[in-house]
Amino acid sequence: MLKVSHLNKRFGRRDQPAALNDLSFTVEKGEIFGLLGHNGAGKSTALGIMLGMVYPDSGEVSIGGVSVQSRRELAMSKTGAIFESPNFYDYLSGWRNLQVLTAFSGGVTKKEMEEMVEWVGLKERILDKVRTYSHGMRQRLALAQALLPRPEMLLLDEPTDGLDPDGIVEFRKQLFSLRDDFGVTILLNSHLLSEVEKTCDRIVILRKGCKVYEGSCRGLEQETLNYRIEVDQWKPLQRVAGQFGGQVQADEGLLQWPRGKDIALLVSALVEEGVKVRQVTYLQPSLEDLYMKVRQKQGEESG
Amino acid sequence: MMEFFRLLKWELFRMYARPRTYIGFAVFLLVEGLVLFLLSRPSIQRGLQNWIENVAGGFDHFFSGLTLAFILVGGTVFLLGAPFLSLVSGDIVAKESEDGNLRLLLARPVSRLRLLMVKYVACQIYALSLFLFISSSALVVGIIERGWGGGYVVMTPEMPHASVFEWGEGLERFYLMPLFLVVSYLPLTSFAFMLSCMRIKPAAATITTLAVVMADFVLANFPLFPLFKEYRDWFVTPRMQMWVYSQYQDIPWPKVVENWAWLVGIGLTGFVLGWMSFERRDIKS
Repeated sequence: MLKVSHLNKRFGRRDQPAALNDLSFTVEKGEIFGLLGHNGAGKSTALGIMLGMVYPDSGEVSIGGVSVQSRRELAMSKTGAIFESPNFYDYLSGWRNLQVLTAFSGGVTKKEMEEMVEWVGLKERILDKVRTYSHGMRQRLALAQALLPRPEMLLLDEPTDGLDPDGIVEFRKQLFSLRDDFGVTILLNSHLLSEVEKTCDRIVILRKGCKVYEGSCRGLEQETLNYRIEVDQWKPLQRVAGQFGGQVQADEGLLQWPRGKDIALLVSALVEEGVKVRQVTYLQPSLEDLYMKVRQKQGEESG
Repeated sequence: MMEFFRLLKWELFRMYARPRTYIGFAVFLLVEGLVLFLLSRPSIQRGLQNWIENVAGGFDHFFSGLTLAFILVGGTVFLLGAPFLSLVSGDIVAKESEDGNLRLLLARPVSRLRLLMVKYVACQIYALSLFLFISSSALVVGIIERGWGGGYVVMTPEMPHASVFEWGEGLERFYLMPLFLVVSYLPLTSFAFMLSCMRIKPAAATITTLAVVMADFVLANFPLFPLFKEYRDWFVTPRMQMWVYSQYQDIPWPKVVENWAWLVGIGLTGFVLGWMSFERRDIKS
């Protein structure tokens, strides 16, 4: 559905580092695909090129077999997009905003608009001025405009930024529904690892404009999970954890625990030994950890 | 073509739904009120009476609603025409870019050229509506002050002599003025539009346009620069005075066509340069 081929882009002078360096990947029809990377990794530049708003120095993007660089309008007729900060014409109502924006796609019927407004849950407030909307409501309006008229491909730039936990869960459900019920292919651009893990089938990780990983999120799973642990006696902890294959760094209060084993086993064993367990907290791996993991993997593969 | 007009309809809808669009209209009304107040001062009334009696005859007949309206329009357009048109034209692309709305539009299946054409035409329609509003509001004030009917006498520094009309023909000439004004201001609106298409803040587009127009006006007209006098035709602001031709007793059509060609040419050049800049730009947050 989306094919990104050898994209290169450099902003400014030639001695500036490249924003994108030979980026290639493919998103299959019906997939939710994650583009992951730190701020400045090149995600927004890649998205800009996919939308024909940024010109690549070389390379090409095609959506549904249509080149964005040579036939942008046709490619965009299959595409919807949401940007990180959903900006609208604040002095107009949500409904008027939808009318204005869909006019650029040849217009949609009133019925289609009403259905979409209801689907995103904005029916009650759609006639209010956008300036009175919360961030979550703006995001829902952004989703509505991106889905009118029905696109085959949805490009999302940091769509959950600034949403509260309820909003994030709701948004994720909507993405699954779009894929499962309407067959929409989705590319999600984010620096939130946890969000990408929960949503995407496959991911690409970008670092300084270069692709460092492409594959499933599970491919990045580590063999051990990290926990912060606080107990009153460290020696029994080291012994008991060792029996399960875990390792303890007592000076930092860190526990490396084998993936697939329930941490409750350790806690109950410690309690039986008379150890007081004050805290066990799972440490979410950071993007940096993932990069390290990816680098380590690449090093191992190259021998 | 239908597609173009549909986009134009929504562009105009957005423009006229925006509160700041009406700042210009409100300020023009205030300035018209101010000019009217100044005209009611006895010394100015006496001067006006002497002038009208000298060039046209009966003061009561020729100091009509139309004559008063022309004085109001001349004064307000001279003071405020350039700032407000450069404000709207300088805003039209740059403000959307600054607000982040441009990316929403360009994520749609529309070419950059079509988007700019829609916006450019909307600018010219805004200019026409502003001039029509100024003329009509001035005429309403004039009629309230001096009543319906009478003669129409016009004289500006650019005119060789005063033009004198009766009410009907005067009304036609009066309403030719907004059309001529739109063409006269094409270089200004197009220059502001061109800057707006570049990677620039909206305020910078407006201020740069005003600075360039002021510099052109000073160099072309200021007596300290007599050397420039023979090159006056090379400047733009003298050609922007061509709207006055619509009020000549006999409209000098060859001169009108010559100036229109210049003004439209300069306007289109501004549009094309703006488009070329916009087409090459990376649109990014």
